[in-house]
Amino acid sequence: MRVDPNYLTTLVGSLDQVQSNEQQLTSELSSGVSITSLSSNPVGAGANVLLLNQIQQDDSFTSSSSLVTGQLQVGDSALGSVVSQLTQAISLATRANNGTMNSSDVKSIGNQISGILDEVQTLANTSYQGQYIFAGGQTSSAPFSTSVATSPGVTTYSGDSDINYLEMPNGQKIQLNVPGNQIFSGSGSNNVFAALNSLVADYSSGIVNTSQAVSDTTALSTALNYVSQQRVTLDNSITRLSSATDAVSNEQTQLTSAQTNLMQADVGTVSTQLSLNETQQTALEDVIAQLGSSSNDLFSKIQG
Amino acid sequence: MSGALDADQAALNVVANNVANANTSGYTEETPDWQQNAAITVNGVSTGDGVSETGATSQRDRVLEERLDQQQQLASSSSTRLAALQDVQALFTPDSGSSSSTAGDIGSDITKFFDSFSSLEANPTNDALRQDVLSTASTLSGDISNAAASLNSQRAALDQEATGVATQVNSLTSALAQLNQQIQSTSPDGDAGTLEDQRQQDLSQLSQLIGINQVTTENNGLSITTTSGQTLVSEGQSNQLTTGTVNGVTDIFLGGADITSQLASGGGQLGGYLTARDTDIPNALSSLDQLAYDISTSVNAQNNSGTDLNGTTGTVANPLYIFNEPTQVSGSAAGMSVVMTDPDQIAAAGAGDGTGDNSNATALAGLASQTIVSGQTPANFYSNFVTELGATISGVQSENTAQNASVTQLQTQNNALSSVNLNDEASAMTTFERSYQAASQVFTMLNTIMASALNLGEQTTVS
Repeated sequence: MRVDPNYLTTLVGSLDQVQSNEQQLTSELSSGVSITSLSSNPVGAGANVLLLNQIQQDDSFTSSSSLVTGQLQVGDSALGSVVSQLTQAISLATRANNGTMNSSDVKSIGNQISGILDEVQTLANTSYQGQYIFAGGQTSSAPFSTSVATSPGVTTYSGDSDINYLEMPNGQKIQLNVPGNQIFSGSGSNNVFAALNSLVADYSSGIVNTSQAVSDTTALSTALNYVSQQRVTLDNSITRLSSATDAVSNEQTQLTSAQTNLMQADVGTVSTQLSLNETQQTALEDVIAQLGSSSNDLFSKIQG
Repeated sequence: MSGALDADQAALNVVANNVANANTSGYTEETPDWQQNAAITVNGVSTGDGVSETGATSQRDRVLEERLDQQQQLASSSSTRLAALQDVQALFTPDSGSSSSTAGDIGSDITKFFDSFSSLEANPTNDALRQDVLSTASTLSGDISNAAASLNSQRAALDQEATGVATQVNSLTSALAQLNQQIQSTSPDGDAGTLEDQRQQDLSQLSQLIGINQVTTENNGLSITTTSGQTLVSEGQSNQLTTGTVNGVTDIFLGGADITSQLASGGGQLGGYLTARDTDIPNALSSLDQLAYDISTSVNAQNNSGTDLNGTTGTVANPLYIFNEPTQVSGSAAGMSVVMTDPDQIAAAGAGDGTGDNSNATALAGLASQTIVSGQTPANFYSNFVTELGATISGVQSENTAQNASVTQLQTQNNALSSVNLNDEASAMTTFERSYQAASQVFTMLNTIMASALNLGEQTTVS
């Protein structure tokens, strides 16, 4: 059978193909990326979108959690101070209640407890980056204020019962705050400010109504226990946040390595392919040089 | 005797013509036709009367050429479509994960936008975090609307190309009609040689442009229809394609009927351009539109239902919209933009809650994991979109590779038959030269015999 006399054109076509392969492989090697276009690996490109999505979410959670940890720690240390202040108030009240003090000592204890009341109120109005952290959702203004127009004085809460949560990438929620009314002015005998105000009133005159004062002191103890319980919520959040951050950054490391494996060009394989292509190219060029030489032309054999 | 010399001379001319046209595109190798002259019978003895050269025959296989044309139509359709799709995929280059490569990647934009709400959960009143929401929103809307604008301009460019192809088709069909007339009048019974070469050359060019069927008619005429059956050339008559604007794109008409959709599936460059223009790009655009529409409306609605930093909750009259609220899905991607200018208007707090509340920021961040875009989460939707687009392109790529291989094969077969092989020509030339020499040698011998006869054995002046 006759052959296609234009075989050189076909060979040059193959040479072009080999060179284009080489170019693609070289660009993979130099960029280090194997999926350079959607069509080179459609499924990989789609998986890459999801992996990056997850990685970025994890990254964002890690930076959020460091922001939030600061706030939780400020809240926790404020409550820690509240506990020690209240403990001190209880020991003062217990001393005043044992009936051995003169009226000026009782008054002085009353003044000290009143000072503790101010201190606790300041702690309850703690702010973090300009936001009052025990105000529920009403973080723009101080939530607690005390009026001494009446006796005993009245401390009012102007915040609300709003609780904020930080949602983790896996959907779990971590509580970020405990509203002030839940900590300091809980229902019944769990009201720190009511107990403190009553004690201030009990000792203000210097004469102690022992049974009333003892019952108010007991109320303060109950309230103190309640504050400690509420503090546990914040401590729990700090612990959970820290372990969640660890888990998320582990996940992020794994996802990043998966994503790198997906997208990264395997230098060994690509180099081997490149070298194969180069050999092919040399072979083709040799063949073309042989076939293209004019000594293969029958016309050149014809003697004039 | 001189007949043999003439015939050999004519055969040598055919060879010379072949060699001269060895590189002429569309030229078909010709071989000399030999005819034995009628024998002369004298006294019952039959004597041969030499040979005549009656012309040359082109080495042509019409069936093979038609198959080549048909395969060429498929291959040029898919390679045109592939080129258009490669422009489309350049807009959605996969993000390798490094910070420099994330620029312009819609998938990363979506994630970063919703992540900015997650960060806002941590500190809902923080101005920097609020500002970040607006800046990620404008990156997202900017990248989506840029992609949509690029797709639209690619579509417009394809539209232009298609119109250009229609004009080329018209000039080729006119040329073919004229050639038909010439061929029918000059060689109704046989191969028309160089005219036929021209006709095949035109048919091959036409096959690059548009999908056609060929029907041979009487007297060596030819009718050409589109693949779906509309007549382009009927022997000496050609029907011109016309163009007109329908729904913002150029449609192609033949004899008043809109045949755009038939042409799109018909093959040739025109088929490729029309498929990319009317199917592939609109598909990509409608996915982007859906994404833009659903993100815009869901985020707007959620933001509108919360309380912003000023304590305001959105109303119908004064909505708290982050994105330009689209009215319909179509065109949403191109029209996507951020309308909110004051970051305080981001409603991080729930309706009626204090400004320090973050429940609406949580809900806004939660939209990322909700099936708000066509029953999928935004990231899943985008991931599926790029997978589908990539799969389509990869499919067209393999189709094109296979079709090109088949074209190359048919081309090789056709070349083997019809192309000028210089070695063959050299050998034929030598053969005819020898034959010519042999014939002239006969003359020399006859001359010697005649001289001997005239001189009757004596050396005289006649030699």
